[in-house]
Amino acid sequence: MKDLIWYFVLTLIVLGLVVLGLFWGSVDVSSLDENSIYIIKNIRLPRVIMSLLCGAGLAVCGSAYQSIFQNPLSDPYILGVSSGASLGAAVAIILGLESFFFGIGGFAFLFALATVWIIIKIASVGNRLHTTTLLLAGISINFLIAALIAILMVLNSENMDKIIFWTMGSMSATKFSDLWIVFVFVLIGIIAIRLYARELNAILTGNESARSLGVNVERTKKVILLFSTLMIGIIVAKSGVIGFVGLIVPHIVRILVGSDNRRIIPFSIFGGMIFMLLADILSRVLIAPSELPVGSITALIGSPFFIYLLYNAKKQLNP
Amino acid sequence: MEEKDVILEVKNISYFVREKKIIEDISFSLKRGGFYCVIGTNGSGKTTLLKSITNNVELNAGDVKVNGKPIKKYYPKQLAKELSIVWQHNEFLFDFSAFQVVMMGRMPYQKLLQADSEKDLKIVQEAMEKTNTWHLRNRSIKQLSGGELQRIMIARALAQESPLMLLDEPISSLDIRHQFDVMELLRKINRENGTTIFIILHNLSLALKYSDEIITLKDGHLVHFGKTRDIINKENIQNLFNVDAEIIDKDNIIINK
Repeated sequence: MKDLIWYFVLTLIVLGLVVLGLFWGSVDVSSLDENSIYIIKNIRLPRVIMSLLCGAGLAVCGSAYQSIFQNPLSDPYILGVSSGASLGAAVAIILGLESFFFGIGGFAFLFALATVWIIIKIASVGNRLHTTTLLLAGISINFLIAALIAILMVLNSENMDKIIFWTMGSMSATKFSDLWIVFVFVLIGIIAIRLYARELNAILTGNESARSLGVNVERTKKVILLFSTLMIGIIVAKSGVIGFVGLIVPHIVRILVGSDNRRIIPFSIFGGMIFMLLADILSRVLIAPSELPVGSITALIGSPFFIYLLYNAKKQLNP
Repeated sequence: MEEKDVILEVKNISYFVREKKIIEDISFSLKRGGFYCVIGTNGSGKTTLLKSITNNVELNAGDVKVNGKPIKKYYPKQLAKELSIVWQHNEFLFDFSAFQVVMMGRMPYQKLLQADSEKDLKIVQEAMEKTNTWHLRNRSIKQLSGGELQRIMIARALAQESPLMLLDEPISSLDIRHQFDVMELLRKINRENGTTIFIILHNLSLALKYSDEIITLKDGHLVHFGKTRDIINKENIQNLFNVDAEIIDKDNIIINK
């Protein structure tokens, strides 16, 4: 009941930010003439909707990753999964495979999945994932992929602009036609994760502990990894790599409502939307009429936050 | 022993890691309502035995039946209604309240997306009152002492309402006072709820004091299985642990080097 009131308040905040996102920008649209209406409808509306979808999707993915890896510092960006997806997108563009196997989105998903697999292989000790190794594996994968993308860009300078887009993240190129596919995959992903929320809670108390409560731990982890990585693949394919949303939002939500995923998921949806909308608006107005990549805004907020979390987690990481 | 009295039947189980035999050819069966204790040195296969009978390792040979049905045939949720487990190590990186953790014990009974029912709340409260943890319900699980945490984990197992409760050295990190508290609590659960208790212990005098029957392990083999008082004696302890023991009376034992 109390949650419902909060959902209502948060919906109002999101709507307020949507209005702000539609009317505030480098072009003054207060006159509401034909030109302004065109800008609002065809340029700002799709990117505002894309921000809502990406924010919600990335935040819920983050909380799902944190549960599966039993580690509060996990997020698709830090573990290199988002970079993996961007490499997939770059490869698809360079090889001219945009219309093959679901195009760029399909490749982004496959590469993201491969990255998850590699990270799990590197970081697992027995059937446990070691926190430090997990983070180091993610960092090294990020280095490797950054190098590969740099090489791809130099070798394919004619596609450089397109590829840069995937490494920085931006909503500016959003078209209405992109929104449907993102909506469908984010919706399916969030529903799947919500259905497993109780199982994820149990997994947070340890694999054996969860198993003794009747949770099929291996199956749950596989299903959640598959759906959340699918979401990441599609989001990265359409808006590029946007980091730290999945780290910051679930973390703040957890402080406010506790660790129960049944509450973290809905609140993360709102939190992700609000964070992403704010970041997108900032990316457009900070140096107007030019624009910053939204990924750089989230990283500017996210990196110090991550360092702060690492600083606090020192004792847990080095027992 | 009649078949319906047997809650757990273990038949010729073996588990190897590569060539190394961790446990070999172990058989025993547990009667409904009994208080069983497992003792043995470090590395004798106690924890592996527990993992074997709870479907946590792939056995190389033999089978385990719960209520006459092979555990492999149980769905995970069904099995969780039949047996609950309290593990030795409980690590919480995430902040749950004690109440939320005990409520997880109701998971086997809850359907997809179903909220916690009045019945669940009642059972959780009863489990927490029985384990004397109801006053801790809003405390963070990360802030509990070792003894409090073990009582919460036992409450969670109680909330599973399973006829069989298995515990892996639940008291090894507790001081002597809290060791007694937990053992008294298990005796109460055994007597009042009729729950069959199967506990791995290191402390011989507690095993002697609380268990009806005892299983002893050495180098992965079952050495003894029978009435505790018949088995705990000077020769057997010498043989198992290589220490010199003196049994004072039915509850007390003195270990010399």
